[in-house]
Amino acid sequence: MDVRSQIAMVFHLDKCIGCHTCSIACKNIWTDRRGTEYMWWNNVETKPGTGYPTRWEDQNKYAGGWETSNGDLQLKSTSKRKVVFNIFHNPHMPTMDDYYEPWTYDYQHLFNAPEGSDQPTARPISMVTGEFINIESGPNWDDDLGGSPVYAENDPNLAGLTPEQRQQLFAVERLVFFYFPRICNHCSNPACVASCPSGALYKRGEDGIVLLDQKRCRGWRSCIAACPYKKVFFNWSTGKSEKCILCFPRVETGQAPACFHSCVGRIRYLGVLLYDASRIEEVAKLPDDQLVEGQRSMLLDPFDPAVIAGARANGVTESTIESAQKSPVYQFVKVWKIALPPHIEFRTLPMLFYVPPMSPVMSHMEEKTKEHNSEELFHDIEEARVPMKFLANLFGAGHEGKVRYALKKQKAVRWYRRALTVGDVDLAVALRMLTEADCTPEEADAIYKLTSLCSFDDRFVIPPAHREEAIQMFEDPLEHKQGAGFGFLSVPHRGM
Amino acid sequence: MNPHSCRYWSEAARSLAVVLVRLRFVLAAAAIFLFLPAGAPAQDAAAFFKQNCSSCHTIGGGRLAGPDLKNVHTRRDRAWLKQYIPNPRAMMDRGDPYALKLLQSAQGVIMPPPQGLTDARLDEILNFIEAESKSGRVWGGGGISDRPYTAADLVTGRGLFTGTTPLSKGGPACISCHTVGTLGGLGGGRLAPFPQYDLTRVYERLGGRKAVGAWLSAPATPTMQALFKNRPIQTDEAFAILATIEDAAANSGEADAVPLLDFFLMGLGGAVLGLVTFGTAWRTRFRSVRGSMVRGELQRGEE
Repeated sequence: MDVRSQIAMVFHLDKCIGCHTCSIACKNIWTDRRGTEYMWWNNVETKPGTGYPTRWEDQNKYAGGWETSNGDLQLKSTSKRKVVFNIFHNPHMPTMDDYYEPWTYDYQHLFNAPEGSDQPTARPISMVTGEFINIESGPNWDDDLGGSPVYAENDPNLAGLTPEQRQQLFAVERLVFFYFPRICNHCSNPACVASCPSGALYKRGEDGIVLLDQKRCRGWRSCIAACPYKKVFFNWSTGKSEKCILCFPRVETGQAPACFHSCVGRIRYLGVLLYDASRIEEVAKLPDDQLVEGQRSMLLDPFDPAVIAGARANGVTESTIESAQKSPVYQFVKVWKIALPPHIEFRTLPMLFYVPPMSPVMSHMEEKTKEHNSEELFHDIEEARVPMKFLANLFGAGHEGKVRYALKKQKAVRWYRRALTVGDVDLAVALRMLTEADCTPEEADAIYKLTSLCSFDDRFVIPPAHREEAIQMFEDPLEHKQGAGFGFLSVPHRGM
Repeated sequence: MNPHSCRYWSEAARSLAVVLVRLRFVLAAAAIFLFLPAGAPAQDAAAFFKQNCSSCHTIGGGRLAGPDLKNVHTRRDRAWLKQYIPNPRAMMDRGDPYALKLLQSAQGVIMPPPQGLTDARLDEILNFIEAESKSGRVWGGGGISDRPYTAADLVTGRGLFTGTTPLSKGGPACISCHTVGTLGGLGGGRLAPFPQYDLTRVYERLGGRKAVGAWLSAPATPTMQALFKNRPIQTDEAFAILATIEDAAANSGEADAVPLLDFFLMGLGGAVLGLVTFGTAWRTRFRSVRGSMVRGELQRGEE
């Protein structure tokens, strides 16, 4: 057992209102520089929809992630052999058109335009070329099902749905969508790290944050092709790649990352997971239907004395172990099993988990009045507007079992709370539903509390970073003590 | 001498030494410049003649590419010669009748102006030619055998021409810049100016085996002189090369533009083949996703 700690995340999709506040918080802090205008380290997608970049989930096109061949785990996009032949032209590189061309508007024209018979307009200007452009797409062009016949209908997750189901999904009165916020998953088997020829990408030992060293990056862009979630971006101005850093300067000082902190729906949870790194390869090679369970089994119980001993042996600090014991992520993923990894069939073993969303109540028009389809308060899971198959493609590698389990448990908790707080449903029925959903009243209360009544400190259990120890490895913290002046960060070179 | 002045002198000597060290390259260059030109004029003139003139001219050895210079001082006066030699083309452009006559007898070949010819040196050379004409010594024109070439000569010559056998003194092979009609394939080099790059008819231009042989012994154009000055072609090598040229003259037409067309077509074919190969090797490469998706859906909508 090789115990490591990972700062992991849960996004509760049932709470997401799609306001994009997270995206803006991230953009304002990290990606408003030249060359980064088109990057959205955090973005919110509407599902069904093609997302950003367009159809990123289609790995037949983008060749991201891993695949198993002859019992070996291999990157889809590159290998030591392939990289030689593709060194000057990576054949799986998305173009700017597949993201979008960033733009601003010619606002000055509103003030400087010569007097005329029409109101002046502010034409869009490309932030890359500086020329006037016709805007053809944006990072959330298909937001709220905008352009559905083109975008929503091309969602790769619709694979396996019957034509009838597809038609119903977009029929008036049945139309449905939900939001899917995305950041870097800080995977435990990251394809970007594996693909980098320069060794610029690395997974931080103390908290598993995947970072890209700007000094070592040589702009080969293998990571951009390799990441199946397309969350590494190429800065065309600096010629180096960049990615979500999970706001590590904030995390190290005990603050939640900007997108977590700003989330108005409070959908985001952050906490430490302890996992067994020696099992990564074995788990990543499992067949599709066992991947979710395999990854769960890799996550370790932070109360288990053997795990704690293993963690200590690996240099995991006491405060981190303590933090792991309070982790909301551990509860959602491992204890309650209602949070699932996105597209685990890409085999990068993401460390960001999603609680799948409940669909809105189904209704239909009857003689000018709206009637609920179901006599019961909440409709049957199987008859939800979002077909189970669609959610399974997104969160279960195409297999419905784990998704159904998570949705059933959520529905049971709702019934149970309804019985307790409103009382218009029978408590006995609610308790029976809990039992059927593999849930106890205590667990239901805990889920309810962490979902609805969670405070800041409940959602974000951030381990102390102990940067002083990390720094000690490279330099003596007392080096400048009692020294004169402010000293130099890097020693100046003098002479010829 | 008091201690102060002693220190002063030692410091001065040191700074002089520093100046000398810094200027050592300049001083060396100056020394070469100052001392090199000094030498015996007659010996110098003979060497210069051999190096620069003997490729086309003899003194009493008969006509090569250019006329025999024996008694040239009786044919034209010193002033005319000194005007003609540094720039023959100017005289012809001016329509000097004797210069035009020379051009005609040389079948249109104009003498390349010799390199490094100063007024003083020109006088030395003319003095030298005058003296040697009077003495009756023969300069140049010999060396190349008159015997017919054999099959063996042809094989050797072809090797030397194409560079499969290197020239013994290390000069570059003829094919680098020249071609002949018998080479076949894409022919040889075309770096030499037109029409000199094609050596098939060089005998007609320069005036036979003897003249071309003399040229090979000491080429006079700036490019060839620089290449062969320190790496001369040996007499037996020259004979073999001449055999190749004579064989080409007898057995083929001029190297014409057909190889150029071949070259173009091969390049075109190669490019197409390359593109097809790359297209096949990278057939699964990423192509536009969003653009093609939107266009496809819009087309479907119109139907």
